Amino acid sequence: RPLFPLPSKTKNEEKKPIQTFRPYNIAHRGSNGEIPEETAAAYMRAIEEGADFIESDILASKDGALICFHDVTLDDTTDVAKRKEFANRRRTYEVEWFNVTGWFVVDFTLEELKTLRVKQRYSFRDQQYNGMFSIITFEEFISIALDADRTVGIYPEIKDPVFINKHVKWADGKKFEDKFVDTLLKYGYKGQYMSENWLKQPLFIQSFAPTSIVHVSDFIDSPKVFLIDDISVRTQDTNQSYWEITSDDYLAYISKYVVGLGPWKDTIVPASGNYLMPPSDLVARAHAHNLQVHPYTYRNENQFLHFNFFQDPYNEYDFWINTVGVDGLFTDFTGTLHRYQELTSPHRKDETANSLLVKISQMISAYEGL
Amino acid sequence: ASPHTHHSRQLDVNHKKPVQTFRPINIAHRGSNGELPEETAAAYLRAIEEGADFIETDVLASKDGHLVCFHDVTLDATTDVADHAEFAGRKRTYEVQGEDVTGWFIVDFTLEELRSLRVKQRFSFRDQRYNGKYQIITFEEYILIALYADRTVGIYPEIKNPVFINQHVKWSDGKRFEDKFVETLLRYGYGGEYMSDGWLRQPLFIQSFAPTSLIYVSNMTDSPKLLLIDDTTVPTQDTNQSYHEITSDAYLAFIGSYVVGIGPWKDTLVPPDPTDNRLGRPADLVARAHALRLQVHPYTFRNENQYLHFDFRQDPYAEYAYWLDEVAVDGLFTDFTGSLHKYQEWTRPYRKEQEKTSPEALLREIAGMLKNDGYD
Repeated sequence: RPLFPLPSKTKNEEKKPIQTFRPYNIAHRGSNGEIPEETAAAYMRAIEEGADFIESDILASKDGALICFHDVTLDDTTDVAKRKEFANRRRTYEVEWFNVTGWFVVDFTLEELKTLRVKQRYSFRDQQYNGMFSIITFEEFISIALDADRTVGIYPEIKDPVFINKHVKWADGKKFEDKFVDTLLKYGYKGQYMSENWLKQPLFIQSFAPTSIVHVSDFIDSPKVFLIDDISVRTQDTNQSYWEITSDDYLAYISKYVVGLGPWKDTIVPASGNYLMPPSDLVARAHAHNLQVHPYTYRNENQFLHFNFFQDPYNEYDFWINTVGVDGLFTDFTGTLHRYQELTSPHRKDETANSLLVKISQMISAYEGL
Repeated sequence: ASPHTHHSRQLDVNHKKPVQTFRPINIAHRGSNGELPEETAAAYLRAIEEGADFIETDVLASKDGHLVCFHDVTLDATTDVADHAEFAGRKRTYEVQGEDVTGWFIVDFTLEELRSLRVKQRFSFRDQRYNGKYQIITFEEYILIALYADRTVGIYPEIKNPVFINQHVKWSDGKRFEDKFVETLLRYGYGGEYMSDGWLRQPLFIQSFAPTSLIYVSNMTDSPKLLLIDDTTVPTQDTNQSYHEITSDAYLAFIGSYVVGIGPWKDTLVPPDPTDNRLGRPADLVARAHALRLQVHPYTFRNENQYLHFDFRQDPYAEYAYWLDEVAVDGLFTDFTGSLHKYQEWTRPYRKEQEKTSPEALLREIAGMLKNDGYD
């Protein structure tokens, strides 16, 4: 046996394909219920736990590098406040019509961002990994998915494009969205939804900004998902209301550019006093327009679960998958969703001729006593 | 059908679906109290609906000697007693298990007065919408809830705070709290050693933190008993023995003559690291108990993340998986019996008769395989 695999064998190696028979398990910011969000460790953990897709929020540094980070400020999930050398970097900028004060990602170079350490956002989650991991780049995020031992999709978001384009300039005059797509193309992402290329490197591009989605549709045919915030939030680029962007007219329009919607779950099934109210008709209308629905964000902790679910995250998954009928779920606890789906709609185990013969043999042996 | 016929059919314990004995038992701790106010009829009915194998209760006594289902010796935390002006003067301070406790004590209220109170959810982070709707129930009412269930449901009553109860409640016939407890069980037909026919018809475990109470009732009933074990810092309320004494091999061998198992607080079986909310190394108590043929039924499993060690990633099913598969306990006291039932049905389901492959189904499978390989 040769010490190294022969080239022909390497080429023939196939990864286990992504599942397409049950709703997608989308690891929201990686397994951030356990490990600080959007770090390499959080994504590798999500892959280990069975995520179909790993989700990230793409922003840009001062020097134009694309990074994976959820907020435009570094305050909540890094140790920036403890770094004396950055004490005077605190600024106030307008973000989606509100003045926000903090340390802004656009005021730091990639090198400076890499010196920071990420920490867990929520006090009630495991703090033991605080300070251990760095912010990663969009390219590093892509490599994590491509290097996985099975096919894992990526689900990057064009995050806060109005704000980024206002504060970050690229020498070649390109926009944030262009840089975003350039990176994807560079790593071979392409192909319409469920095409052969897509199945090899699954990808959904998501954004709350419809103009960004329309813009990138000219550059890449990969599927896109239009994110929808709470009913009180207007789109950051076109200032449209929730009611406008969820109207039938608008869904018909946007479905030319997207394969689905990513709504905040409490807009699909509103809640009052921590009890579910009757569901809206958004899922039915989206499906009527041939649009998928991938709501966000599912969290295990009882403070995030409506009382109808009896403090049990599995009851919530059951409701959303079986009663509401969604097509994907953004979850902070990808391992839990994976366990639920493996318990209720498992991967079909390969039925081989041999195992069938074993069954036949067992049946026959049952008659041997006669 | 007439109501009488209906009741007769339901009380016919000989013809109900039997309690399961092939997987660890699901013990609804205070009923489904993760959803409904604890130890109320509604909490027990809900637990039965959700699949509990046993419904658990804490039996105390009222001033006039009635046995009631209530967890605390004081009414403060789970009733509206503080809102009753007529009882404002009833607040007292008594010694309970070596410590002074102030509150409205159950032993100072008659059954009728207790009935005028309404039970409420103990924890602020649980559903409050049933507060004030349900009453305290008696031990007899609790037993009837189990007996009237449409399948065999076991009961798991605790002889609660016997030293305190015997000190404050006197029965005219000179009997003790434990006597009254057992008399009630016998009156409703509970009897028989563990796994006997009598037991399987009406499953019962008697539990107590007080070893002398368990020894005492062993002379009156052969039903199985469990010694409850509190935290490592808590001595027994009756004999003042330390945790380490009552979990020694010598003591387990002794108490094994009277009980079929122990019910420890789960954090003593697998002690957590106090600094980071992670599990430490398991103690050897489960192995030693099993070596002495004692079952282990730890308490209390709760879904909420504040009760889950970080090893379980805020996932209550991960905790069940650990305790059932790795620690290998024999029963679990849970506030969320529906979750445990669902988990066990997914991982150790009742064996379905249809699982036997029929020749027709097998032929269809063969035909399907041949078709997949291109044969038509």
